[in-house]
Amino acid sequence: QLDFWLAPRGPGHPVDVRVPFPSLQPLKAHLEANGVSYSIMIEDVQALVDHERMEMLRGRRQLPLSTNTFDYATYHSLDEIYAFMDLLVAENPNLVSKIEIGRSTENRPLYVLKFSKGGTNRPAVWIDTGIHSREWVTQASGVWFAKKIVLDHENDRDLASLLDRMDIFLEIVTNPDGFVFTQTQNRMWRKTRSRHSGSACIGVDPNRNWDAGFGGPGASGNPCSETYHGPYANSEPEVKAIVDFVKNHGNIKAFVSIHSYSQLLLYPYGYTSTPVPDQQELHQISKEAVTALSSLYGTNYKYGSIITTIYQASGGTIDWTYNQGIKYSFTFELRDTGRYGFLLPAKQIVPTAQETWLALKVIMLHALDHLH
Amino acid sequence: IPDSGHKYYLQFTTEDYKSGENAGSCLATVLYPKTMSPPVVNIKCVPTKDQKQIQEEDDKLYRKIRHQTKPITGNNIPDSYGNIEPALEPVWALAVAGSSYIMWEKSTESLGYFMAQVKSVKQWIRKDAFLEFDYTVLLHEIPTQEIISCHMRLTWLPGHPLKVKYFCASENHGLEDGSGMESGSASGILHERGANF
Repeated sequence: QLDFWLAPRGPGHPVDVRVPFPSLQPLKAHLEANGVSYSIMIEDVQALVDHERMEMLRGRRQLPLSTNTFDYATYHSLDEIYAFMDLLVAENPNLVSKIEIGRSTENRPLYVLKFSKGGTNRPAVWIDTGIHSREWVTQASGVWFAKKIVLDHENDRDLASLLDRMDIFLEIVTNPDGFVFTQTQNRMWRKTRSRHSGSACIGVDPNRNWDAGFGGPGASGNPCSETYHGPYANSEPEVKAIVDFVKNHGNIKAFVSIHSYSQLLLYPYGYTSTPVPDQQELHQISKEAVTALSSLYGTNYKYGSIITTIYQASGGTIDWTYNQGIKYSFTFELRDTGRYGFLLPAKQIVPTAQETWLALKVIMLHALDHLH
Repeated sequence: IPDSGHKYYLQFTTEDYKSGENAGSCLATVLYPKTMSPPVVNIKCVPTKDQKQIQEEDDKLYRKIRHQTKPITGNNIPDSYGNIEPALEPVWALAVAGSSYIMWEKSTESLGYFMAQVKSVKQWIRKDAFLEFDYTVLLHEIPTQEIISCHMRLTWLPGHPLKVKYFCASENHGLEDGSGMESGSASGILHERGANF
């Protein structure tokens, strides 16, 4: 059980040995009984090892050196995610670029990653995560999706053919002010961090602030409420930035906004019970997407329109995008179904992202197949 | 049901909160009267475990908690990253059971809940064999999306029904900048009738 770090060479040469604790006394007794002198170089090896590990982890958190050493199975700070984006772009300049689409209330940049193999204003897919800041598995999944696209863009036939004709836009931290707040002050913060005159309460629900049934039933007019729709549609810069982007781009074919939790795949409408004209098609796509998702780990999802599956909600993102003519508008509610809720253990990040990616591919490929 | 209310017929399966294993199936009817008085519930469940197994597991849980030499205290269970310290798992489990009573009482035909987090827990050591805990639990309210803070006092001994007393804050918001938006109405009533549950 003795671990020689400097092996015996012969008389007159020193020997270094690591001694497991139970052997310490017997070894000392043996050496003394035979007149062999010794000195202790390291009192506690384990303590040193532990310390080094801690230093390494700390070092890693401060400077991820590449997206290959980045830890996808843990939650990261805003700075770490923004640094990740820059690394990804630097490593893949021919595929990935970063666009600033606006600034948040607290003046943080709103970044979108663009994945493109060329062309000009190609038809595109939009994916956003983290619009509700407390839904941490979504931002974490967004980071994973970004890396996944880079890893698979050549060897995955489906993804390669998708990128031959379409671009992908990915906004990972759609609500950075809220995200920072969840890390520093209140883990359960959902809304933006805007102040509007006439109230001491802060924040607007960014998923009630869109111009689709704005202010109707399914949102609150009370600034202190978690579903406060805001003083008017697009009052929130985080929302306005996306609205402007979508309108200026003019060629987005699929729009997916990602939330947690509940394990649902939803399509419009939320603000009215009138079914969308494309209800049948969207329902069929949802069915396929959910089947693909479950195939990986058996995770159970339900699907349907927002209003029939979850509850009435007005001023929602995908109601607006659908009404803009983006037929393939979907919302995900990722894991779990309430046991951990927003506090999903980090070890579920990667499995969640992996299974969700399969569903996303179904949606994106359907859009690809139905380009006019 | 015309002039009476809405009646729901439910068939569902249950799963063990800790392991995710199937724990049994239930049949229930719930009638929400038009008058908004509490719903009338009829329920029958068939558990997968027999009474003896359930009792053994209760005893095991009880011993785990009693085994600790100091009064248990804790904060943020799970933490922001979803971690639960193994030593605090039993206490979290009791919180889930106790909160389910609160949620059962508070929920309506249009309002539902999940237990989001145990904000704090403090054990009170008793002279008798009962376990007693003071909790602050956060409930996630659907569809309002509000996080409701509830103070819960829980006592338990295996073989006895869980006893829960609670008080939930009526409004969480407006306390941001210290200027009260609190409605301040009947917020002072502790729900003494708690549970034999």
